[in-house]
Parts: sequence; structure tokens; C-alpha cells
Amino acid sequence: MKTLLLDVVVGGLTTGGIYALVALGLNLQYGLMRVLNVAHGEFLMLGAYLTYALHTGWGVNPLLTLLITGPTAFAVGLALHRVLYARLLEGDAPESLESRSLLLSFGVMFVLQNAALLVWSADLRGYSYLAVPLRWLGTVFPANRVLAAGVALALGLAFYAYLRTSLTGKAVRALMQEPDGARLVGIQTARIHALCFGAGIAMSAVTGSLVSMLFELTPFMGLPYTVTALVVVILGGLGNMLGCLAAGLLLGLVETAGVYLASSDIRLISSYAVLSLILILKPSGLFGR
Amino acid sequence: MTMRRRAFLKTAAAGAATVPLWRGKARAQAKPVRIGYAISATGPYAVGASITQAPNYTLWQEQVNARGGLAVKGEGRRPIEFVSTDDRSEIETAVRFYEKLATDDKVDLMLPPWGSAMNFAIAPVATKYGYPMIGPTAISGKFKELALPYFYTMLVQPEPQMQAVAAKLRDLREQGKIKKVAVAYVNDLFGIELNAATGPAFKAAGLEVVDTKSYPLAAKDLSPMLRGFKAAGADAFVGLTYPPDNILVTGQAKEVDWNPAVFFTGVGTAFPFYRDRFKGAEGVMGIAGWNPKVKFAGAKEYFDAHVKKHQKEPDRWASAFAYASLQILERCVGEVGLDHARIKGMLDATEFQTVAGPIKFVKGENVATPGMIGQWQKNEFELVWPKTWATGTPVVPKPAWA
Amino acid sequence: MAARLAWAALGAALVVAPQVLAPYYRSLALAILADVGLAVAWAFFSGPTRYLSLATGAFFGAGAYTTAVVMARLPWPLPVLAAAGVAAAMALLVGTLALRLRGPYFAVFTFGLAELAKHTLIWFETSITGTVGRLLLSPPGPVTLYYTVLAVAGLAVATAMALPRARWGVALIGIGADEERAETLGIDTTRVKIGVFALSAAFMGAVGGAMAPRWTYIDPQVFNPLVSFQTVIMALLGGPATVAGPILGAVFLGLLSEILLVKFRYLYMLSLGLVLIGVVLLLPAGLSGLRRIRRA
Repeated sequence: MKTLLLDVVVGGLTTGGIYALVALGLNLQYGLMRVLNVAHGEFLMLGAYLTYALHTGWGVNPLLTLLITGPTAFAVGLALHRVLYARLLEGDAPESLESRSLLLSFGVMFVLQNAALLVWSADLRGYSYLAVPLRWLGTVFPANRVLAAGVALALGLAFYAYLRTSLTGKAVRALMQEPDGARLVGIQTARIHALCFGAGIAMSAVTGSLVSMLFELTPFMGLPYTVTALVVVILGGLGNMLGCLAAGLLLGLVETAGVYLASSDIRLISSYAVLSLILILKPSGLFGR
Repeated sequence: MTMRRRAFLKTAAAGAATVPLWRGKARAQAKPVRIGYAISATGPYAVGASITQAPNYTLWQEQVNARGGLAVKGEGRRPIEFVSTDDRSEIETAVRFYEKLATDDKVDLMLPPWGSAMNFAIAPVATKYGYPMIGPTAISGKFKELALPYFYTMLVQPEPQMQAVAAKLRDLREQGKIKKVAVAYVNDLFGIELNAATGPAFKAAGLEVVDTKSYPLAAKDLSPMLRGFKAAGADAFVGLTYPPDNILVTGQAKEVDWNPAVFFTGVGTAFPFYRDRFKGAEGVMGIAGWNPKVKFAGAKEYFDAHVKKHQKEPDRWASAFAYASLQILERCVGEVGLDHARIKGMLDATEFQTVAGPIKFVKGENVATPGMIGQWQKNEFELVWPKTWATGTPVVPKPAWA
Repeated sequence: MAARLAWAALGAALVVAPQVLAPYYRSLALAILADVGLAVAWAFFSGPTRYLSLATGAFFGAGAYTTAVVMARLPWPLPVLAAAGVAAAMALLVGTLALRLRGPYFAVFTFGLAELAKHTLIWFETSITGTVGRLLLSPPGPVTLYYTVLAVAGLAVATAMALPRARWGVALIGIGADEERAETLGIDTTRVKIGVFALSAAFMGAVGGAMAPRWTYIDPQVFNPLVSFQTVIMALLGGPATVAGPILGAVFLGLLSEILLVKFRYLYMLSLGLVLIGVVLLLPAGLSGLRRIRRA
């Protein structure tokens, strides 16, 4: 029984850490800009493939590839914002922005999936990294999952700390809480939007790099992560970073507990049950306003 | 250069290379035989289709056209022209396209799409328009319920497959090598049917099943289930799994430090990438149907040709049967021509010899292939059951994870 | 007047179509009509209220699965009515929670419904019935199916046209403009929202139910979140504010997809994605905006 609790907690935190990081990226876009980027998971997919290519092609350690996928994705995000989303953001009211960004992102999703398909084909790809058991406190954990989750959590917390302490971070939070007020005090909206968009994409890609250590890759692996990210963002409260981190971990714990106590089939049902419960009690999410 | 472009250029080159052959004949260029199909190039079905079916279609076309074309009784050789599309893993798209093939394009022959769900939808369309269709990736007891006279399934169906597994496990139990069995199955039609067949088959074989668990198609974590099996003392794991879950369950068994004497993961084990992923996957068993060592005519040649054209190996199960279905079609057209009723007549009456062995259809189901089990041994997926078809002897207990 | 004549002519053409068209074109028309039904049903709720519903996939799937289960026992078109009923019931159940949420919360919550429905159904089927999916052994003929879908789509369009003039339709527009104000004016916003949401769901379920026989075997994978996206895209492409908008969007996307698929086998998704991006960036009001630009 004791090991069951430990299994659930560690398992839940490892799953949750990954959820938290990918959701943070989406939160930056959806929470800040009301941009519903359903292609978010596709950047995760691309990050995963990039790491896969670097590791299997050039033998680069998967953890080191984060130094490549992160900045590359950031640059791509900046470019995408400039070329595509900035135009939307200039014009629209929040509700139509949401719908139109949905449409735009759907197009981007198709383009990215097809591109990945052309380059890597639909064959399942994967590699094995650190798939060794770690024995601790009487039970066994997979080293790669613990590592991936650890890195994800560390990055998430680091980003959160950055938001709290740096000037840019404060500007971001100001924009999220009071967009008009923030503009009045001279915060450059467009620049912050671009940075956040880029950061969001980078987080997604980095999560992908970590995920590639654990699961097989296909060009269509992205959408489930987008769905999970959306659920976590809403659960934690749109725009709330700490809420997002907490919600990701909570969701991971609930899902893992469900799987242990009932069966694997329960996983998604339990996520939804939690989401429904929270939203009944607090329609704006755990920490939402 | 992407694999598809390479494949396309190779086909074009092969096609171009056959032109002098045609010019050599002292008559006008033969009218092509138009063969239509939809295959999933995008969407979730694309993974399976691109391993098992699509490469065999293009390989066969290239080989046949290099010989001067498909031999049609009474008409000499005519080149094969494909009329094909991507069905996007969408059933509606596939249904519409096959209707188009039958009524608009009026193709001469049809080949099936990938997977049971697609075949369920397309088989009635093909039968409605009288096109014989042989489905190498259609597995379900429900096809018999459909009772479609023009549809034929190649692969072993769930009941005989699980009976084979039960027989093997009983054999091992009698040798004292295993005691307790744990079963896991994916909760879509395929896994559920296999599991439904497993219950009675295992009971009849007197096997002790300590636990049976189901899991969803896109599961991300099967370690709770595996830990449970380990704790229950199971020493034989029967996984009615599908890629990518079979990869997940294998990786996670290693991670939770569980190495039962028998580790059987259903589908996907027979694929080369599985072997490569697990450094040989020594000792892992799975559903099998073929390997390049089988004594059937053309097996090794088929393997080599597939590797040469597609830079990847055929899988050790349905791939060979997909190719075999084309061989069968080729033989029928050569002997009775393109008339659909005559082709059906021949399909119903003949035992065919193919790279996958003898194939005989009774009421649309292939009864000549038994349920088989394979095991990765020294980088080859040896057939280890039934004994009459085996290319190797089973290694139990399974060696430690690599 | 000219517009009315044009619509009437179109309607007549659609009725006559299956007698004249080859099976492939009839199927294509049927698929587009189904999309029209979905897009119009989506738009008559989500258009005025501005609640971005991503629940279409869940209702469509519920309808399809219902038909699969009851078709052997009920004569056609009763299974379609059953499908509509089940979808509406689902919407009523879900709506009471979902419609308390605003904006993004509503969108994300409804988006997950398709997946939730799928997994719940699978869990139920594997634990209780022991099988999954249903085989449809003697489906109605293609012409019957065509007329069924035509009827559903036609009814949806008629509803969309009548709604803005009905009491609930006016209330809906008020809710979309300013929900709190509508409430203070005495409108029972909850009842109106849930009612129209359920009506919209009924049509989506009916479309699913009418299409299901074409696929012979229906399994829980029929709950597909992508259907939710595609419906929204069709409606937005055409312009959700009008009745004609979603129709235009559905026809445009349906025809475009088919043409691209037949012409560009490997680049189909790529080209469709680029077209979508282009339309969003160049046509802010969707395709119906094109008409306005030309008139001005």
C-alpha cells in the first residue's frame, strides 16, 4: 500500500510536469492575447522530431538538443507572430479574435503536419534513452520519465520566476491583468506579444524534445497535447501562470490515481471529471479571476 | 530527397525503362489496366498503411510493369495504371472515392484501403459494383456477418489466432515453464475481439489467468497495469496490443523491472522498427505470419525487392499477405481475364501458392493460414508455432531485457 | 426577389439531383449537404451568442452511434429522430454546466466533450456490453440517405431563418450583445441558451445519424474532435452572421477539399492549410464579406 501511494505521487508528478510545461506555453498565447493556437501541439511534434533527428543522426544527447530546439522554436514563434498573427491582433475584438485565430491556427496545423509527413513519412519513429529502472524506497521508476518531468518542472518554475522578477515579466503580467492600463503606462504591447508568442512556441517545442525520450513519434502526435494543454490552462485559470503549473500537476496526479485505482480507460474521464468539478465550483478556473 | 520522391522517381524510371520493351512489340501500345484504390497517407491510419500496404502496391506495380505489364488472358500484357488517392483516414472520403472509381472512372480492378474500419465501409461498395476485393488488413469476426460475396480476408481471424496462442501456452505449462498468465488488451474492436476469443480458448487449454486489463488506444502510461501483473506473480504476459502501445508496454515492462518467462505483444512486434527499438527484442513473441526464411517460393526475393525499392523491410506479418493478395490477383487475371464474375469464381475455387504460403478462401475467409506465433531471435522473427510451419524453436524463458 | 428565386432554384436542383447525378457526384452533394447542416446548426447558436462551441463532434458522434445501435430495430427515418433526441439530451445535460462558462472556458470545455463521450462510451461498452461498435447490416439506399440529409439540412436552414424573428431568437441576439443586460431586462438567459443549444445539437445529431449508414461499421472513433474544428471553420469562412454564410463556407470548403484531394495527393493538407491562412488574413469577414466588397 505504501508503494502504491509513492507510485501514484511520483507517476502523477512526472506526467503533470510535462502537462504543466506545454500548458504554460499555451497560456502565454491564449491568456495574454486570446489567440487560440490549436497548432500548439504541432510545435511540440516538431521539437520532438528535431531532437530525434539530432540524436539519431548526429548522436547528440537528447537533453543537449533542448539548447537547439528552444531557441529555434523561439525564433520561429517570433516570425510566425510577425507574419501571421500580428495582423489579427491589431484589428479585432476579443471574441472574433478567438475565432479567427482558431481558423488561422488550424491552417498552420495542417501545413505543419503535412510538412512533417513529407519529411519524415508516417512511419513510427522513436529512440530509447535512459529507459532504465531507478530503484527508490522499495519501488521502481523509469529514469527517463523522472528526468523529463524534472527538466520540465524546472523550466516551468524558472519561467515563472522570470515573470515575477524581471521587468519584461512584470510587463507581461501587467498586460494580462489590465491590458488597457498597461498600454497607458507605456508598455509596448506588440513587442510583448511577440516575445510571449515566441516563448510559448519555444516551451511547446522543448516539451516535445522531452516527450521524444519517452514516446514514439508520428506527424499526428500533436493534437492530444493541444487538448491537454487547453484543459490545464482553463483548469488553472486563463492567464494565470502559477495556476497553470498547479493545474498541470493536479491533472497528472488525478489521472495517475484514476489509472491505478480503476483502469487505464479512466484516464481521460477522470481529467474531465476534475475539470467539470472545478468549473462548477469556480467557473473561471482554480486561480482565475 | 524524401522517400516518396525517391519512390516516385524509381517508379517513373522503371516505367520509362519498360518503354523500349513495348516498342519492341510489333503492334500498338497496349491499353493500361486501371486499378483503383484509396490508402491513408495522412491521419492516424497512415502509420499502418505506410508500413504494410502502400509499399506493396507500388512495389508490385513496378515489378509487373517491368515484366511488360499485367498478363491478361487473351490480351497479352497490359501495363498497370493506378488511380489512387489519400483517404485522409476519413471513412466518408474513402467511400466516396470508391464510388467514383466504380461509376465515374470505371476502373478495371480495385484494391482495398487499410484497416478493418475502412474495409467495413468499402467492402459493401466493392460488392455492390461487383468488384472482387481481397483485404489483407481486414481482421474481424464481423466480416463474416456482412456475408459479402466479393470480399475476401487474408489474415488469420481472432479465434484461430488465440487458439494458437492458447495451444502454445498450454504446451509451455505442461513443460513447467509457465504457471500464471496475465492478459492486456487495447479497447478497440481488434483488441476486444481478440480478448473475447482469448477467454474461452485459454479456459479450454486449462490456463490460469490471474488478471485481465484493458487500456485505451492512445494510452501514455501502462506501468500501473504492468506493476499489477508483476505483483500478481504472472510469468506469461499476453498483450493484445497495437502499435504504438506495444512499444510502450515493452519499454515500460523493462522500466518496472519485469521480465516474465513469456512476453507476447500482439501486433507491431513483427515490425522491423520494433526490433531495432529494443536492440533486437530478443525473446519477445508476437503475432506472426511470415519471415524471409520461410520455404515458400519467392519469399526471399520479395524481401530483397522490398528493401531495395523502399529502403525498409516489409513487416513480418501483414506485409507479405498484402503482397500475396496481389500475386493472387495477378494469377487470376492471367488465367481468366478481367471479368469480375470469373475472377470471383477462381478465387472461390483455387488454392493459391504465394510468398506467404498457400492461401485458400472458403466463404471469403482464408483458411489455409494457421494462427502463428513468432519470436525475435538473433534479429529475425522466427516462426515458433505451429510446429509444422516453424522456422525456429521457441526460447523460453525470455532472456533479460537488452 | 432575385435572391429568393435563386435559392428556390437551388432547392429544386438539390431535390432533383439524385435522379440525375452519377453516384460519385451524388455522394459529394450529400457530404456537402451534411456539412451545411452542421455549419448552419452551429451558426444559429454560436453566431448570435458569440459562444464558440466546439461540441459539434460530440453531438455528431452521439447521433451516429445512436443510429448504429437502433437501426436494426427501427424503420427509417426513426433512427435519425432518435439520433437527434439523444444529441439534444446530451446538450441539455452538458449545457447546464457548460453554459455557465464564458468565452475560452466554454470553448475548451465543449472541445473536450467529444473525447469524453468517446472514452465514456468505450468504458461502458467494454465493461457492460462486452463489444464495441455496431455493424449496420442493411442500410437504407443511397438515394434515401440523400433525401434524409437534404431534409435535415433544409430544416436547419429554415430554423436559422426563422429564429431571429422568433422570441427566443431575439433574446439570443440580446444575450450575444450584452448578457448581463439581457438578464436585467427579464430574459431567462439560461433557459434560452440551453434551449437553442439543444436545438442546434439535435440537428448535429441528426446529421450524424443520417450519415452513419454509409460507413457500415460505427465505433467510438466516430466522436472526432476534428469535426468540431471543421464545422467552425466552415461557418467562420463563410461568415457566421448571416444564414447564407455557413452555407457558402460549407460548399466552398467541401468542393475545395475534394478538388485539392484529387489533384494534389500528397500536398492536399498543405494546400488546404495555406488557403485557410490566406482567407483569414485577406478576408476579415469571411467569404460573405467578398460580396459586400464587390457591392461597395
